[in-house]
Amino acid sequence: MEYLNHNLERLRRNAPELAEAVRHSLGGVLTIVPSREGSPSATHKGQWVHSAYDPKKEAGSWAEQQFQQWKADEVAVVLGVGLLYHVEALALSRSSDARMVVVVPDLSLLKDAMGARPLGPWADRIHWVTGTPEEMATQLTAQSSPLRFLTYGPAARLHVDVHERLQTSLSRMMARKTGGQLHVAVVGPIYGGSLPIARYVVSALNQLGHRVSWLDHHVHQGSYEAFGSYREERHRLMLQSRFADVLSLSTMAHLAEDPPDLVLAIAQAPLGLAVLQHLRKKKFLTAMWFVENYRHLTYWQQLAAGYDYWFVIQQGGCFDALKRAGAGHVHYLPMAADPTVHRPLTLTAAEQQEYGADVSFVGAGYANRRTLLPQWLSHEWTTKLWGNEWDGATALSGILQRDGARVDTDTCMKVFSATAVNLNLHSYSGTGMDPQPDFVNPRTFELAACGAFQLVDDRTLLPALFTSDEVESFRRTEDVPSLIRRWLTDAEGRRRHAEASRQRVLRDHTYGHRLQELLATVGLSQPDRIGSILRGDRLTVGLKERAASVPELLPLLNRFPAGQRVELKDLAADIRARASGRQLAREELLVLMMDSYRAETRDLV
Amino acid sequence: MARQSPEGKRLLPWKPLRPNPMTRRTLLIQLARLGDLVQTIPAITALKEAHEDWAVDLLCPAHLENIGRVLPGISTVVRWDGPAWKQRALQAEKEFRPEYLVEADTDIRAVVKELYDCAFVLNQHPRAILAGALLARDSTGAISGGPLDQKLSPWATYVRSVASDKGDNRVHLADAFCGMCGVAPPKEMMPMQVLSAPLPLDLDAIRQSGGAWLGLLVGAGDPERVIPASVLVYLITACLNRLPHSRIVLFGSRHEQERAHWIQAELSPSLVGRVWDTTGRLSLTELAQALTRCQVVIGADTGPLHLAAAVGTKVIGWYFARARLHETGPYGTHHWVWQATGGEGYAQPVSIPHHWPIDETIALLSNDQVDSVPGWSLWESHRDRWGAYYVQAGQEAIAPLQREHVWKDLHFAVA
Repeated sequence: MEYLNHNLERLRRNAPELAEAVRHSLGGVLTIVPSREGSPSATHKGQWVHSAYDPKKEAGSWAEQQFQQWKADEVAVVLGVGLLYHVEALALSRSSDARMVVVVPDLSLLKDAMGARPLGPWADRIHWVTGTPEEMATQLTAQSSPLRFLTYGPAARLHVDVHERLQTSLSRMMARKTGGQLHVAVVGPIYGGSLPIARYVVSALNQLGHRVSWLDHHVHQGSYEAFGSYREERHRLMLQSRFADVLSLSTMAHLAEDPPDLVLAIAQAPLGLAVLQHLRKKKFLTAMWFVENYRHLTYWQQLAAGYDYWFVIQQGGCFDALKRAGAGHVHYLPMAADPTVHRPLTLTAAEQQEYGADVSFVGAGYANRRTLLPQWLSHEWTTKLWGNEWDGATALSGILQRDGARVDTDTCMKVFSATAVNLNLHSYSGTGMDPQPDFVNPRTFELAACGAFQLVDDRTLLPALFTSDEVESFRRTEDVPSLIRRWLTDAEGRRRHAEASRQRVLRDHTYGHRLQELLATVGLSQPDRIGSILRGDRLTVGLKERAASVPELLPLLNRFPAGQRVELKDLAADIRARASGRQLAREELLVLMMDSYRAETRDLV
Repeated sequence: MARQSPEGKRLLPWKPLRPNPMTRRTLLIQLARLGDLVQTIPAITALKEAHEDWAVDLLCPAHLENIGRVLPGISTVVRWDGPAWKQRALQAEKEFRPEYLVEADTDIRAVVKELYDCAFVLNQHPRAILAGALLARDSTGAISGGPLDQKLSPWATYVRSVASDKGDNRVHLADAFCGMCGVAPPKEMMPMQVLSAPLPLDLDAIRQSGGAWLGLLVGAGDPERVIPASVLVYLITACLNRLPHSRIVLFGSRHEQERAHWIQAELSPSLVGRVWDTTGRLSLTELAQALTRCQVVIGADTGPLHLAAAVGTKVIGWYFARARLHETGPYGTHHWVWQATGGEGYAQPVSIPHHWPIDETIALLSNDQVDSVPGWSLWESHRDRWGAYYVQAGQEAIAPLQREHVWKDLHFAVA
């Protein structure tokens, strides 16, 4: 009690409201246990939060490791409260003007810490953030300097969910504020469902003002398929695998010639583990947006450790599985729509006739669809089925359009717009409903963006993306006919839902939103690299401010527009372009010299 | 006004360098590897012969600084800290900060306080050329014009063309360096004076006793040029058996230690006591000194071969793969080189020869009759007023006329 009062008094001087709130909190989350060395340590549900032998020494080692990452101009954000040994060690490792924030998800924790041991003057330098994850994120965005998250694992594991929500909120808030120009290399697949996603990603990045290098491997589809035409499977596999290796090398050559800030691969991109490891060795930052069901396509297991960042459309078990396989950073990033592609259409009467129906389904003939769709046919409404891979689905042959030919995006949009009730049944290889219905497919967002009404099978992640006033969902197959019946008679209700869902997409679920969030997430954990660029620190105007002490550089910088990002290679290229017939200034020679070493470090191939 | 670097280091003010008109200060820029650095000796000697009053400094990679210091005729060695530049470039790639340029400039000023009057740039690498432009008022050597002009000087063009044409009896690279510096090859060659750095105690006994002490290079900088270890075992065994009282000293880097251990393990126990293993244990200056203690050095690693020749030790080189004596043969007189010919003349590179001139090398060491070896030709080095050249064994040492023509075309025409 003596420590608690003393520490609360110290806290009151800087944060009186927090001190009062801590006083009134319950405490008792941690069990205080003396360590072998004598100082108090703590456990939570039987697990040690600090060392059982010497908490101070352990905290010192932790602080030493963090010291390498934490740059002088950054604010350290500590995740994990415990008994604050690690916070003390970190604070004492830096000068008194270093700025530190400690995230306190539960005030009882702080009360336990303050009751266990005396806090020194170092505690006066700590800025404590409390509240809901969203409130804490708001407090953190108010910091004017880059944030460097430092996690003390043993204590942070008590609130993993809170920390994840905090970082997600923060990414979204930061995403809205970002303005710098990144160079992103988008590596797409050779073919498949992720190919259009890659195109949307490229388009969104361009619209956000970033420079995009689009490594479009779709141009190689013909060759890939040719290699797949051999009779023997081992020949097909060997040749296609070797071909994918060549494409992987071709990607590396492209990256070497025009090094990006971030390599963003979309699911099925032909990048092997060896190439990813080589890229990491050469300091390239890589991310994968795995827009697949991780339970069905499992090649992520071989690549998990290769990418620096994973963005996935599932949560929970997907996170755990990827991390177990070696992934460092895993983040949830749901699908989205591209409003320039997915938009309401005004159809002619002839188009309405061709594409329209009371009920439509667009998609490939997965097993669950083959079983369930026939159950939803009725004489009460007309139904049309569009898409490919429906061979042998005799019960559906009467409604299959265009003999089961693949339909392009334009046709999809017309069908969506011309249909009263669009069925959206997530694919599943079994015969019933998906027993693990978590992720939300792209079709949900695309239908919404088109202002089309949809009936979608319920997903655990759907409520966070759309309300029931925006998208109607079903859990049981037997409910579908009655839902169709009901909505077919409520044209105004359909219109309201469709419009609300479209507005929701425009507000929250475009590829632009997703890419902003993706980049902000990477920027948050790379405050001195991607984060710095996103904050606009690399723009000419910022560089000129920093070059005040080197006025000789100003003529070089003045050649670039104020809002343009300028890097070493840009300066060197500009000097080379103007070098002919004139004597180079000393600072120009220094730039060229430094750039020659830069080029060497990026010599990938 | 001193400025602060990102790491808090105090930096000197930024101001243009001013050449001092009172002196004739020159800087030789050689940023390549050990062999090229040692082959710069004739150019230094020739410059000093032609311009006795010039101060000739040397810019070389930091790790070769100590060798640079013992090159005859060099006043001061300026170390080029490539790793520091690389580190700075890595930082600048992550985020370009004007401070990095200030820091780089400060580091340069710390070692070169005044601009040189002239830099002789002996490498065609952009970095060497930029260094010349940074450190001297005028640059000459590998290129003509400004640092970004891609136009090679006549001598650099010649060096490049013989490297691609692979002709024989070319002007030796070391003499071409002289040409790049605007001087003819030196009249006299002095051996490099090696400082008497003490060797490790157990190695200090090298050449303290009589008999032939033979240096053997166990590896090579280029993996293609490495002589198979089993061949070296045969060579050592044959040497020790046929040359009474002879000793073998193994030289190599720490990466070649395991190879040296394997070689020794394969030797007959009765011979092991006559083999001294220095691999991975000697600094470059210690290596230079140890090489002076050998009567002959044999091997395929051109860097140490050049160093051995420069300290006055006779060399027998085994040149194969891409190594060619007319480009990188040891400089001086009476060095021997076995050149793998690959059958139809030696213009074609030979990756790994099937047969090795082991007995014939021992014959050379014993001053015996040397038989011809299938797939190899044997050459001896000579020097005249046009520099070094090689003559095939058994032929008269007549200086090839074409070198004289080259010098007249490239050098005296320009001069």
